[in-house]
Amino acid sequence: MQQTSPEIGGMGHSIKRKEDSRFIQGRGNYVDDVRLPGMVYGQMVRSPFAHARLKSISTEKAKQLPGVLAVITGEDLAKANLAWMPTLFFDKQMVLATGKVLFQSQEVAFVVAEDRYTAADAAELVEVEYEELPVLVDPHKATDPSSPILREDREEKSNHIFHWEVGDKAATDKAFQNAAVKASVHAVFQRCHPAPLETCGCVADFNSATGKLTIYMTSQAPHAHRTLFALVGGIPEQNIRVVSPDIGGGFGNKVPIYPGYVCSVVASLTLGRPVKWIETRSENLQSTGFARDYHMTAELAADGNGKIQAMRVKTLADHGAFNAAAQPTKFPAGLFSICTGAYDYPNAFCEVDGVYTNKAPGGIAYRCSFRVTEAAYLIERAVDVLAQQLKIDPVELRRKNFIRPEKFPYPSPLGWSFDSGNYEAAMNLALEKINYQELRKEQAEKRAKGEFMGIGISSFVEIVGAGPAHTFDIAGIKMFDSAEIRVHPTGKAICRMGTKSQGQGHETTYAQIVAQELGIPAADVVVEEGDTDTAPYGLGTYASRSTPVSGAATAVAARKIREKAKKIAAHLLECSEEDLEWEPGKFFVKGAPSKSKTIQDIAFAAYTNMPAGMEAGLEAVDYYDPPNLTFPFGTYICIVDIDKGTGEVKVRRFIAVDDCGNVINPMIVDGQIHGGLTEGLAIAFMQQIDYDESGNVQGGSFMDYLLPTAVETPHWETDKTCTPSPHHPLGAKGVGESPNVGSPAAFVNAVVDALAHLGVQHIDMPITPWKVWAILKEKGVVS
Amino acid sequence: MALRIEKTFQVSAPIEKVWSLLSDPTKVASCVPGAQITEKIDDKTYQGSIRVKVGPSVTDYKGEVQILRLDPQNHEIEIQGKGQDVRGRGSASMTMTGKLAAPDNGMTRVTSTSEVNVVGILAQMGARVITEVSNIMFEKFSQNFQALLQQSADQPAVASAAVTPPEPIQPGSIAWQAIKGMFRSLLQALKGLFSAKA
Repeated sequence: MQQTSPEIGGMGHSIKRKEDSRFIQGRGNYVDDVRLPGMVYGQMVRSPFAHARLKSISTEKAKQLPGVLAVITGEDLAKANLAWMPTLFFDKQMVLATGKVLFQSQEVAFVVAEDRYTAADAAELVEVEYEELPVLVDPHKATDPSSPILREDREEKSNHIFHWEVGDKAATDKAFQNAAVKASVHAVFQRCHPAPLETCGCVADFNSATGKLTIYMTSQAPHAHRTLFALVGGIPEQNIRVVSPDIGGGFGNKVPIYPGYVCSVVASLTLGRPVKWIETRSENLQSTGFARDYHMTAELAADGNGKIQAMRVKTLADHGAFNAAAQPTKFPAGLFSICTGAYDYPNAFCEVDGVYTNKAPGGIAYRCSFRVTEAAYLIERAVDVLAQQLKIDPVELRRKNFIRPEKFPYPSPLGWSFDSGNYEAAMNLALEKINYQELRKEQAEKRAKGEFMGIGISSFVEIVGAGPAHTFDIAGIKMFDSAEIRVHPTGKAICRMGTKSQGQGHETTYAQIVAQELGIPAADVVVEEGDTDTAPYGLGTYASRSTPVSGAATAVAARKIREKAKKIAAHLLECSEEDLEWEPGKFFVKGAPSKSKTIQDIAFAAYTNMPAGMEAGLEAVDYYDPPNLTFPFGTYICIVDIDKGTGEVKVRRFIAVDDCGNVINPMIVDGQIHGGLTEGLAIAFMQQIDYDESGNVQGGSFMDYLLPTAVETPHWETDKTCTPSPHHPLGAKGVGESPNVGSPAAFVNAVVDALAHLGVQHIDMPITPWKVWAILKEKGVVS
Repeated sequence: MALRIEKTFQVSAPIEKVWSLLSDPTKVASCVPGAQITEKIDDKTYQGSIRVKVGPSVTDYKGEVQILRLDPQNHEIEIQGKGQDVRGRGSASMTMTGKLAAPDNGMTRVTSTSEVNVVGILAQMGARVITEVSNIMFEKFSQNFQALLQQSADQPAVASAAVTPPEPIQPGSIAWQAIKGMFRSLLQALKGLFSAKA
């Protein structure tokens, strides 16, 4: 790849994020900053019960409160056939409850008032009479005959949603029968929530004069949402404009369509006024898309030397009351079949069953390419359990089993074609940086003194950038993505995208791709996303797909522009195209570098002096359909010390070596790694959306669902290796999710390693001090 | 959220006198902060309400109280209460067994064992808050109960509702006291830790 100057700021330059100047001044424009004339406010009435029949709803008192404009119930929506809406995965969910409620905090009624306070007061006046029903909380009991059937709307009278399997069962079973060693681990990846800094919300603005509906909403996928509003609401698509303004973190939480959006639209259509609805923190935690809740068992079969021969996985997926997973259509368990990991063995079989429970709906991909996090966690835990069983150093076991660099493209036993990788190189760098052998010595000394220190390794592989359109679609829409570049006469440019940044730094990184390909300084390129009236169609940002798909589209569109620019340059320099050579920013005549035309000269000529017969302008659009997914990887090593007295785990060091192929902006990559590791730390040690036996949410506020602050967060050390993707135009792979995918196993492996000599093989997350202390007590370490 | 709460206190009154109050739900209810009996359905069934305010969350439970068992011989009563919040914030149910005993000191010992199940917004606050709230409520109850005993000794004819109007405990105070209670138990735990080390 050609190196650009710092002035141009193409790939590999750590230029400062363009968007930050407005963010750090508090001048971002988030959905709650949108204020329209005549705007009114919506407030949800929610169910206190996890499972109850609705006996009556009385809205009279609420309607009588001065300032209240409307109270919408499920029965009202049913008249317009809108009481239910489709989810993104072959299910439907209630917009407002009719008949019964299926989880605590479910939406029951929507109050609209002149101001937010009145709306909140009126919501308290809506009187709902419930008849409590038996509650199903434990997914393992979902198919028990004694459990209540939750979904009366479905033809199939069962809480079982789907069974999905992949791999060669017979061959895998046979490998297990003949295996010298078998290791197994039952690991629950607990229900957690992305808890973005900004909760979900929208402003729906229906203009009855023009017939146009504008929806400002916290959407990671504005185009897909526009199409769904058109299909479900019956509004002509040209009359819908979805605008995603600045978004304060999405992490998959802002992929689904939530009842609040639909109710706001209905209210605006009814009242003819803009309606704003913004969730509270607890509403966000309790009712919007959760992540994980995978109850997994993994088995590994190996020979006596530790060479893995097969993997078998059985998983129970708790989807809550509705299957609102945002997943590609053909993949009910997402890309969970990446669970074979970084290791080379011929046989694997994986099965997943999904069930309903009386919990909030979801199964979204929290900073994760559709269940990759669960998969990476499972295999990295299983490998450590196997190492423990074989009494082999977990590093050596990994080294012995890694897919060798020369084997790429590597066909995985569950059907993927890994594009490129050098797993051992990343692990070696991490080991060297952390001085692994010394640490093992220190650990032995500490153990002799009765102190607890652990070293955890995670050598993860990801699968991101969905996806080839032949295999991947969301609700039928193929998973391509797009970029449109227009170069202005003065040589500046605007780039519009089908994706939508939620804080990833797209305004900077896409500009750097244009800079790389066209030599227009990144500072001169404006990137615009999120407005469906102006941006080209795309599937949005999640599953680390922006760089692999839209980043590729940007490069291809820029190359189309360069082709045209070359023709103009030849015209200006009065030579043939073949005589021209490109260096970032200009074409020059071969052998005569002084005879050159800059991209700015060419842009001006495109509007003022184009060759005869050529269309004016300098612009291009590309809809990119990737030939394959990309497979980023890395090795993370975590060192922990455990306080015997309190059970507290302290992360002493954490080194993250990532390989995401060619890097666009190293500083942004580092920032992504820091953020994702901090989220991984929270998941490993602090966070769980738990429910009690009556279905009461026990993690429904930041009092119980903890976020790490600077106090709890250790210093993150990062480094990288570079194995470019062979099929991506820029050799890039995508990185946003790697730290969240790779780190949980490193944390847990470290804690288990610290306690391994006591016979501990596994601890489920979140590893709270109480859990550790209870283990120490059970093992007789403390009394 | 299911909780089991056991409480004991002593009152300086003869057992039969205490029993005459304890076996009358209207009198018992008048001692519970925020509670009142609104209607008597039959000898064993009453309708009533109770208001619980924890921090910003007010819950007005309205429901039925039923005497499941009344054993004057052994001075035991078993009461079941069930209610739903009028604004749909959740429900609560409780089965309480009250028992009297007369130790030799001329006092009467009241022992109550309650199984409480709370569903809804209040239950989201978790056991640590609910337990503290019930501690405060019970403390207030035992004070009221003793005051009622005192008053009924002086003026046996006064209707119980007039004795203690159904005032909910101070909203601010209940949240604050719950927090104080949590700190107190934490401090005790810490003290225990240090004394164990010493």
